Amino acid sequence: MTTQRTVLIIEDEKLIIVSTQMVLEAAGFRVESATNGEDGIAKAKTQSPDLVLLDIMMPGIDGWETLTRLKKETATANIPVVIFTAREHSRGHQKSAEMGAVDYFRKPFEPDELIDLVEKHAAVKA
Amino acid sequence: MGQITDIMDGVVFVDRGGAIAMLNAAAEDLLGAKAFCSIGQPLSALPGRADLLAAIVADHARMAQEREASRTVEVHADAHDLLYIRCDTRVVNDHLGQPAGVLTVLRDVTASFKSDQLRNQYLSIVAHELRTPLTGIKTFATMMTKGRLGPLGERQQAACESIREQAIRLEHQIDKLINLGNLESADYGQDREVCTVASLANGLLEPFEQPARGRHIELTLAVEGGDEKLDADRSGLRRACQALVENAVKFARDGGRVAVAIERSGDDLRFRVRDDGIGVDPRYHRRIFEKFFQVEDPLTRHHGGAGLGLFVAQGIVEAHGSRIEVSSQLGHGADFSFNLPLQRQGRAAAAASAATEQRA
Repeated sequence: MTTQRTVLIIEDEKLIIVSTQMVLEAAGFRVESATNGEDGIAKAKTQSPDLVLLDIMMPGIDGWETLTRLKKETATANIPVVIFTAREHSRGHQKSAEMGAVDYFRKPFEPDELIDLVEKHAAVKA
Repeated sequence: MGQITDIMDGVVFVDRGGAIAMLNAAAEDLLGAKAFCSIGQPLSALPGRADLLAAIVADHARMAQEREASRTVEVHADAHDLLYIRCDTRVVNDHLGQPAGVLTVLRDVTASFKSDQLRNQYLSIVAHELRTPLTGIKTFATMMTKGRLGPLGERQQAACESIREQAIRLEHQIDKLINLGNLESADYGQDREVCTVASLANGLLEPFEQPARGRHIELTLAVEGGDEKLDADRSGLRRACQALVENAVKFARDGGRVAVAIERSGDDLRFRVRDDGIGVDPRYHRRIFEKFFQVEDPLTRHHGGAGLGLFVAQGIVEAHGSRIEVSSQLGHGADFSFNLPLQRQGRAAAAASAATEQRA
């Protein structure tokens, strides 16, 4: 039997957290959340999630900065990060790949596409 | 010559031998070079703003194959300030129709460039602000529609489906708003990823299903080779495809049909939209892709729209190294299509580089 996988959502909009959480929990994932980059990095360290969904436009440190710091810390460097954005970013796919994210996902989204994406990137634990 | 010296735009003329024959006062300012020591020299020998000169030299070199080129160059005016200089270069013919030389007109477009940047930034923020609540609406409505929040009665099911549908239409409108902000953008079709044909096709028609139903238009999508992959700007291409579908639905007959097909065509993927509507007069086949162009027929004026859909779609498809083709006669419907190379194993790298080259 596989243990439940955890997804950490770093996102300043509560509405997005609640709706995303509902989708992922219905698909059998455990969901943690943080509403800013600093808290997100702290939670990534203590909770060791199997995947991070990371918003870009956040007050304080933005998603790009958060990504850079997650990739720099040994404790979090290997956690796959998916950029989760509602804004247009110039060459967003390339930029997020260059910075170490495994994928780039736009809001609004199709719930099933989100589940497929998380299934694909959150490593299955024995 | 006196007039040319006085006009605000910079003018540089290089004769067919490659020597500068004329440089007006505005061009002196913009290039940071003096006419008296430039006449008779090749462009590449000029001292002055190196980045701007390099761009002009490159455009002049292109004139061996092409007749005109345009670009906007970012120039460091001083330590703190950037200037944006628009350069329009073209071949000038003599009275015998032979090339006499190459003319470049330089214009300082910094003010409008900066206001465009502000506008794009503003639109991008507005889009973000609209998409955030929309993400909640779409997600909840989808979860309910799929029964994942418990069973629904028939009327509740219909209501949830309608909420989802309206959310998707709004999403499409927000994407179009972003198009307005990106009119001159060099970013069209540049956000490349390897994606499947299925991911391109999924939900492609959803924004138009309700408007089509309302006019009894039969709207169909046939997809071939859903597992095939292509190296593309997925959301850009979806936007281009949707612009074609939106147009087809707009101009289809009430009770008519719009057939969308994504099919294999040799090593390519062909995207095709056909409708049985009013069609396009062949003399407009080129012009319909121009920015803000609308066919000025009193019968079609009520269709509305900004005249940007096809312009943006063509920009995105061209960034993928292809072109949208149109085949249509007035009164006999229209057929819009374009091809894109599919990725083959071991050919992936070649496909990626080929995609950036212009295909014949």
